[in-house]
Amino acid sequence: MSAAARPLCSVFSTSGDKTTDVALPAVLTAPLRPDVVQFVHTNINKNHRQAYAVQMKAGHQTSATSWGTGRAVSRIPRVGGGGTQRSGQAAFGNMCRSGRMFAPTKTWRRWHRKVNTTQKQFAVASALAAAAVPALVMARGHKIDQVPEVPLVVGGDVETLSKASKAKALLEKIGAFDDVEKSANSKKLRTGKGKMRNRRYVMRKGPLVVYSTNDGIEQGFRNFPGVELANVDRLNLLQLAPGGHMGRFVIYTQAAFEKLDTIYGAAGKSIPVAEMANADLARIINSDEVQAVVNPAKSAPKKYLRKKNAIKSIKALEKLSPYQVAARKSETKAQESRKTKKSMKKTKKRGIGKEFYEKMSTQGDVCEDGF
Amino acid sequence: MAKAPETANKKAATQLKIQAAAKADALAAKKTRRANKKTFAANGAKYAAEYKATEAAAVAARRDAKTNGGFYVPAQPKLVFVIRIRGTIGVDPKAKKVLRLFRLLQIHNGTFVKLNEATERMLRLIEPYVTYGYPSLKSIKDLILKRGFGKVNKQRVPISENAVIQDGLQLDSVQCVDDLIHEIFTVGDNFKATNNFLWPFKLSSPNGGFSSKTKLLHFLEGGEAGARGEEINALIKKML
Repeated sequence: MSAAARPLCSVFSTSGDKTTDVALPAVLTAPLRPDVVQFVHTNINKNHRQAYAVQMKAGHQTSATSWGTGRAVSRIPRVGGGGTQRSGQAAFGNMCRSGRMFAPTKTWRRWHRKVNTTQKQFAVASALAAAAVPALVMARGHKIDQVPEVPLVVGGDVETLSKASKAKALLEKIGAFDDVEKSANSKKLRTGKGKMRNRRYVMRKGPLVVYSTNDGIEQGFRNFPGVELANVDRLNLLQLAPGGHMGRFVIYTQAAFEKLDTIYGAAGKSIPVAEMANADLARIINSDEVQAVVNPAKSAPKKYLRKKNAIKSIKALEKLSPYQVAARKSETKAQESRKTKKSMKKTKKRGIGKEFYEKMSTQGDVCEDGF
Repeated sequence: MAKAPETANKKAATQLKIQAAAKADALAAKKTRRANKKTFAANGAKYAAEYKATEAAAVAARRDAKTNGGFYVPAQPKLVFVIRIRGTIGVDPKAKKVLRLFRLLQIHNGTFVKLNEATERMLRLIEPYVTYGYPSLKSIKDLILKRGFGKVNKQRVPISENAVIQDGLQLDSVQCVDDLIHEIFTVGDNFKATNNFLWPFKLSSPNGGFSSKTKLLHFLEGGEAGARGEEINALIKKML
């Protein structure tokens, strides 16, 4: 996207009215790469873990030895000594009561993950760009129906707003309070054991307020449920794409919004470039340049119907050799005529003989002599 | 007038062009088919006359020799039809190779083979696995009409139309099925190409069975293997 023709974003005052326009920073046109964001998020998310492990000596603080065979007991090591219930009990195994667990957890498990810096920067740029797409923000679940514009930029002296009442008024004026309310209403007890591990409640994420200098804005906005604050110099992917899902609802201050162009400017971080400049495949394929050199469409392979026996089927023979068909027809005709001629000849001959015999058999006139 | 997107107009134009080309092709194909029909019919008649003439000539020569006290030596046969009568298990390596060269890879596969000294020696090597003899014109015709398949683009395609022969063989001298039969029967100049175009015939088991004794012995011993001259035609009829 060229810097020449960049769309304008409205800047709203603390009373909710539009004041000026600002050109869209170039970062917000970075390619949207959910795969990169997801990868970086899953890895970065592991970096704030605290180690856990069982005691090193757990389960091994006995001098148990196996009794061996021949004592009508299993061969598991057993606690020696006497005088207590513990003596003779199985020890050490993961299946034993008070034994050591299978594969005792260690603190030197690899808790943190390294991610290439360029990948991390790519993800942040991508997440910022996604936050500028209202469809994605809505898809992530934020209630932005009353928000006048996305990206939402607030100007004036919002960075000095240190009273929460004033901050609330601002949020209501710019239509962002719906999202805050959604977050407040979503506070529920956490499912599972996290409840008793100091993670008692869960709630949805609200808007992320991005500022340039903290002149009190932190104090103003920090107490709202779901609202998070971030300095534009130090944007956190875990805040921009919570759960690895792009499209956090972001509220920029004007100073922060304008600073984006210097952070991701000529002297700052580089904005990732998309693999394909023009991703409209249909348009590319149907363009003149491509169609001019494309091969002609291949026809479907010829379907062969079931082979017909050309000796039996005249139709099949007709396709192959019309001469043979004609020859066969003339031969059958000739056979027919020969047959009829022969039968006619036979009947004629037999007829003559019969006639003669009948003639002879008839009683003629008796002569004078009696012959 | 309703405005259509430019791409739709372009597509319509190219489709029209394609249709026009297809129509022209169909017309041309029709013309060639009509012309071919005439030539093929003429060929059929020509070959029929030729076969009759050669038979008549042979008969005349025989009679002539009898009357004049000379000898009539009929021409040595140039063509045999070989049928594989044994399976693939436990075959001699040399015989295996020769069977493969003759394309007899399966039991009851049949192929035409031109007879010369080389092929005669090859046939001798595979005698226990095949039976062969001199096919008559009727046998050749029936084999091709009923069991004829051609090798088109390395595929086994039934010879249900002359187009199959034209596409597969691509010889000017053999275009229709009558040409094919003639080329095989008279072992012409293009016999090799023509015979190779014909996929090996896959015949059925013989109706009425093989010899009641055994098929493993030579034909002369009461079995089925080896050379059997004119008797092959009876077997072909049973296996067609």
